[in-house]
Amino acid sequence: MNPLLYIITFDFKESKRSSLWHRKLIVNLFLIFTFLYLAVNLLLLGVFLDDILIKVPFEDIDYNTYGTSFVLRRLNQFLLYYFFIDFIIRYFMQKLPAMAVQPYLHLPIKRSSLVHFMLVKSIWSPFNLLHFLIFIPFMVELFENLTFSESLGWSIGFTSIVFASNYFLLLLKRTSDIDTRVYIGLLVSLVSIIALDWFDLVDFLALSGWLFNSLFLHPLSALIPVVLIAAAYLANFNYLKGNMYLSKLSKDKKTAVTYTGKGILSRFGLVGRLTELEFKFIWRNKRPRSVLMITLLFLGYGLLVFPNPEYEGNYLMYVLFSIIITGMFMLNYGQYLLGWEGSHFDHVLTRNVSFKEYYMSKFLLFAIVSGASMILSIPYAYFGWEVLIVLFCVFLFNIGFSIHLVMFFGSMNPKKIDLSQSTVFNWQGVGAAQFLMMIPVLVLPMAIFGLGSLIWGSLGGVILLGAIGLLALAGTNYWIALLAKWLTNQRYSISNDFRNQ
Amino acid sequence: MEISIQNLTKTYGEYTAVNIPELTIHSGESFGLVGNNGAGKTTMFRAALDLLESNTGCVYIDGQATNNSEHWKSFTGSYLDENFLVGHLLPEEYFDFVGAIHGIGDADVKAKLEILEPLFNDEILGGKKLIRDLSKGNQKKVGIAAALLFDPKVLILDEPFANLDPSTQIRLKELLKMLKHDRGVTMLISSHDINHVTEVCERIVLLEKGNIVKDLHTSSATLKELEHYFAGEPNAQGL
Repeated sequence: MNPLLYIITFDFKESKRSSLWHRKLIVNLFLIFTFLYLAVNLLLLGVFLDDILIKVPFEDIDYNTYGTSFVLRRLNQFLLYYFFIDFIIRYFMQKLPAMAVQPYLHLPIKRSSLVHFMLVKSIWSPFNLLHFLIFIPFMVELFENLTFSESLGWSIGFTSIVFASNYFLLLLKRTSDIDTRVYIGLLVSLVSIIALDWFDLVDFLALSGWLFNSLFLHPLSALIPVVLIAAAYLANFNYLKGNMYLSKLSKDKKTAVTYTGKGILSRFGLVGRLTELEFKFIWRNKRPRSVLMITLLFLGYGLLVFPNPEYEGNYLMYVLFSIIITGMFMLNYGQYLLGWEGSHFDHVLTRNVSFKEYYMSKFLLFAIVSGASMILSIPYAYFGWEVLIVLFCVFLFNIGFSIHLVMFFGSMNPKKIDLSQSTVFNWQGVGAAQFLMMIPVLVLPMAIFGLGSLIWGSLGGVILLGAIGLLALAGTNYWIALLAKWLTNQRYSISNDFRNQ
Repeated sequence: MEISIQNLTKTYGEYTAVNIPELTIHSGESFGLVGNNGAGKTTMFRAALDLLESNTGCVYIDGQATNNSEHWKSFTGSYLDENFLVGHLLPEEYFDFVGAIHGIGDADVKAKLEILEPLFNDEILGGKKLIRDLSKGNQKKVGIAAALLFDPKVLILDEPFANLDPSTQIRLKELLKMLKHDRGVTMLISSHDINHVTEVCERIVLLEKGNIVKDLHTSSATLKELEHYFAGEPNAQGL
């Protein structure tokens, strides 16, 4: 058997044996359902694309002149934008399928076969396939309405551009290696294109229309994108063949770090020291760092609600958004509370630190980030002082009460987290506990608020929330002791799980 | 500090990983554990460090069972594998932290590290590499140094010589001998290298499938005896 065939079957085995399938059934069902929902939506979008395009209020093209090709002409006007935005999303999210060949490099298999394997495999990515969910129904309608050669020309052209875009992206991503400058450059060019179009300096809609119309007006021109694929594929091939060395394929770039000694938090004794180390941990690893970044982004979430006249005086919404603003980090980071430390959990167990101190350091971490989110949200007072009261009371409830729930649920989930991956579309470590956790953390405070507001009015409900939070905060040591006791009982099974992953 | 194992068994289904009715390692003794893969060395160490739940019995350090007291943690230095290292820290940061846990200030940690410097061979300190980016051998040096940092009275090391470069192996042996003679540290060390272990340890126990099959006081004949055991067994199976 050809060695390449082995590799292909290994690849199937890899996805078949992926730890993804070892999750709780309910999580997989949830993910499958989400995915199906998305897929059905895209398919429906494809089916109704023509109706939508006819209704787009756009004066440019006259329906009567073009008749059957009207819908296609209108679509073509937007395709340049479509592919450009698609490219930016790909740059941000599409992964390089590089690591798969590493174990085979030293074996007597032709390098070029391995490169072909990697490149062909890259087609099998949702970023390529999702396009066809929308456009296959559209292409079917195309064949019904236009001549065969016209439809074929456009369909081949469109398909080729999707794949060419795939290979250009891979090349750009490999040669520039996730450089934020490239990302910013892409965004800036998108914004400037939109601006140029907006101020009628360059008519990109017309340009797009002209480019893509020629695909069906002159079907032979569909060969140009086909040539583009070939060119992009060859460029990738040459680059990879010359650069397929372990050091270049290796995914974990070694970070150079300078020793800084202890910081401010060390003044709070051993617990502070632990918290400080955890901040270092967050900063030095991609996945927890992106959790922190997302937290910062969500600080702006309030802008959707607080200034919105539709929600004015809607305290329930205020409460919900305040939970998210001050609790985002807690929820997002805390769900893998122990999982983050999965790779050195034996150290956690054998070191001379009690579990109480351990949980206290986590508490301090969440309280600090939550407090910082609270302080950074003070400008929301601009939309009314009551916003600030809600934020503060919810903050108290979060760090008094919810924090311990989060720590408890987070401890129940002994999944080692791969730190080098980013959070985007990363389902590793997701378990039923995460979804379970959302319910009390989101619903409970809203229920308490609702109860309080029935008796004392909206503001009364908010203050009840704050008062309960304050009371719970006073019992912090008690909650922490409970958590420590729980961990003492569970330590063998948790450390065993971590060691076996 | 005495380590005493009482009636310790650990089974995985049908398979018995460790079965030690009674074993006492006396205070100040340097104790070596040898055996082929799967003999139960690491399992025994994990049980001693309260990292896994035994089916019966437990391990006592200084008279207290390790599975319901944390007393032992303050004076027991241990390193089994990379799970003991905090990968995202620089070696210095990790040492500072281990020092802080034991109430040793950063300045004293520096002084301690100077004593341990021969182990490092100029490769660990002052670098910019995180522990997880170090080679296996250098990671092991960090782990062993962290276990020695706070002058432990009990030292538990799994395969300390594996992956180390020859210079460090020799220096580590000298260091371990010094710790035994000058400080009276009780040592529990496993190794696949019977040369090293006979050189360092005054008592050697041989495990096979979880059971103690030999308990030797190291003498000039010990190495031969061990070699005979390890060479002989596979032949019996026709290899």
